[in-house]
Amino acid sequence: MARGPLVLPLFLILAALAMAVMIGIALSTRASTLELSAVQGRAYALRRWWLTGLVVVFATLFAITIPSFPYLEASELSTARHIPVMAEQYAFPVPAVLPVNTPIVFDVTAKDVNHGFGIYDPENRILAQVQAMPNYVNHLAVEFKQRGKYTVRCLEFCGVGHAYMQAAFEVR
Amino acid sequence: MAQTIAHDEHRVHGHAQHGIETLRPDDLRSARRLMWIWVDTGLAIFALMALMGVTMRAEQAGWISYGPDVFYSLMTLHGVGMITAMAVAAMGGIWYMMRLDGPLDERVAHWAYGFIVAGVIAVIVSIFPGKFGAAWTFLYPLPFVGATWAPWATGAFLTGVMLVSIGWSIWCVQMLGCVMKRYGGLRGATGWDYIFHNRAFTEAGKQPPSPQAFAAMVSAIDGLLTGAAGMVIGIALLVHWLDPSVRIDPLWAKNVTFFFGHAFANLTIYMAVSWVYVGVPRYAGRSYHTSQALAVAWWGTLFFVLLAYFHHLYMDFVQFQALQFIGEAASYLSALPTVVVTIFSCLMLVYRSKMRWTLGSIFIYTGLIGWVVGGIGALLDASIPFNNNLHNTLWVPAHFHTYLLGGVLLFILGFVFMMLEERVGAASSAAVRWIVGTLVFGGMGTFLLGFYVAGSAGVPRRYATEPTPGPHIASWATIGAIIMLVGMAVALIEALRMATSKPQGRLS
Repeated sequence: MARGPLVLPLFLILAALAMAVMIGIALSTRASTLELSAVQGRAYALRRWWLTGLVVVFATLFAITIPSFPYLEASELSTARHIPVMAEQYAFPVPAVLPVNTPIVFDVTAKDVNHGFGIYDPENRILAQVQAMPNYVNHLAVEFKQRGKYTVRCLEFCGVGHAYMQAAFEVR
Repeated sequence: MAQTIAHDEHRVHGHAQHGIETLRPDDLRSARRLMWIWVDTGLAIFALMALMGVTMRAEQAGWISYGPDVFYSLMTLHGVGMITAMAVAAMGGIWYMMRLDGPLDERVAHWAYGFIVAGVIAVIVSIFPGKFGAAWTFLYPLPFVGATWAPWATGAFLTGVMLVSIGWSIWCVQMLGCVMKRYGGLRGATGWDYIFHNRAFTEAGKQPPSPQAFAAMVSAIDGLLTGAAGMVIGIALLVHWLDPSVRIDPLWAKNVTFFFGHAFANLTIYMAVSWVYVGVPRYAGRSYHTSQALAVAWWGTLFFVLLAYFHHLYMDFVQFQALQFIGEAASYLSALPTVVVTIFSCLMLVYRSKMRWTLGSIFIYTGLIGWVVGGIGALLDASIPFNNNLHNTLWVPAHFHTYLLGGVLLFILGFVFMMLEERVGAASSAAVRWIVGTLVFGGMGTFLLGFYVAGSAGVPRRYATEPTPGPHIASWATIGAIIMLVGMAVALIEALRMATSKPQGRLS
């Protein structure tokens, strides 16, 4: 799933909130001054709630992200169609055509150095990615729901031709 | 004069500065001189690297064209140079503060500085004329396969980074020795009895380490582990360079490389925050002391900084899966000490205070904002489902530029202006503050936003030539970077004016 476009508004909202609070506190210095002792009691009470809230948020985030982890179980590996990918400076050998709505597992490794096997959908958004590393095979599960031209770009710096390391395939 | 200095330092540094009363004026001046050497070196390297960075963004925008080999050489130097610049400046500042807290041998600091400078020279030689361009956190077997540079350049680069690691480790040993000696071993330096035997501790009339001593202690311990990792991977790579038949496991190399690189970069802000502990209370006119919450927060930082690096390997599915879980959890947890204790406390100190808004305090306070905003970007990237789409896109430089440029650098500038304001006994004019603030923060925001927008659109990082919409975004990001640098140039002129004008402040 291409989550990249979702993350920017989320980031901007959170960053704007944080900045608003901090700028508000900076502007509070224009108001009448309070002794630190008058601020501390309320601040420490607020901090307990702040800590509790953050722990709850992080624990919830951790729990809800786990089902979306891209790491595969052995059973998922056996039922899919496997496409071996041996990346090398500066090419990804991938089939020209792949089927739509079919579970596929890319068995990704590298011949020379580390590469990043990043699949971009027809709208040029990152759909999925995995590292291509010598001596190891990473299994990346993808099911293409949309027909069209997909691009593979290298997402790990691999040398002077890094920016030109790409391939394309058609899903139909 | 001596008493004036001692009195002023005591006032400036707020928290009980044992030993400052007995620090001789000559020693104080000598410590200041040493500190300025480190800070000025860091800022000089920063300035060169920043200019280099602008040319890289201009290359990505298509404004200029010097080719990918030059781009990747500059990218390598920019990366290692910026981290070293931030570290050196922060190391000088924290060294000075700890010198006010207890005895420190300047010769040891000079040795550390010498190793770092020698390392920087070796790295520069590897790039000009060596043309090394594998990125500073390259992943084995990269520097040895498909290289477009001479083999000696690889050796020179590795030697340079190891020399920097040695200098860094010497500094860490000295800092750790200082806090242990000052506060009664590791038990005292970590505030163990202050936490678990508080009543007896207080009744005995003991005082816990100052907030900045906690920053020094954690930076030193984590720094020694980081430095050791850097040495291990450095030696392994050097052995392979000398004898290619000796093989290294790529996954092991990746783990050690990121442990070293992530923690080293991360520690720069934890060192620089020691200046915040000093600066914010001073400007707000309120005192800040070590609390049990602060001690526990630093314990958390001690561990989480070391464990969070696993998020660099999320896309290595062969990595032991438990480590991926630890990576996400540690990344989240590493935010807690920062936002619940350090930043929260600073906001509490500022709220409804008599805060004096000078260039120094503006830089420090805005640095806190940059730290939070960069942290939000980092936390989103550290969430594995998002990382799936953001890993190695421009979102990565987005968040680390935010906390290095918008956090560490601003803390450094804040400290520099705090010292200069103290020297001249006055703050910069409102006009200068507005000009610098508008140009630096406006330009910086535009520059950083370019990374975030491009990263969310999937534009890969470390591309000399970017796919769309990269070049378009790089164009306005470059304009932002230029505006920011113009603002910093104005700040530099103001700093030089203050540094060369007749001293009138308390230190005169």
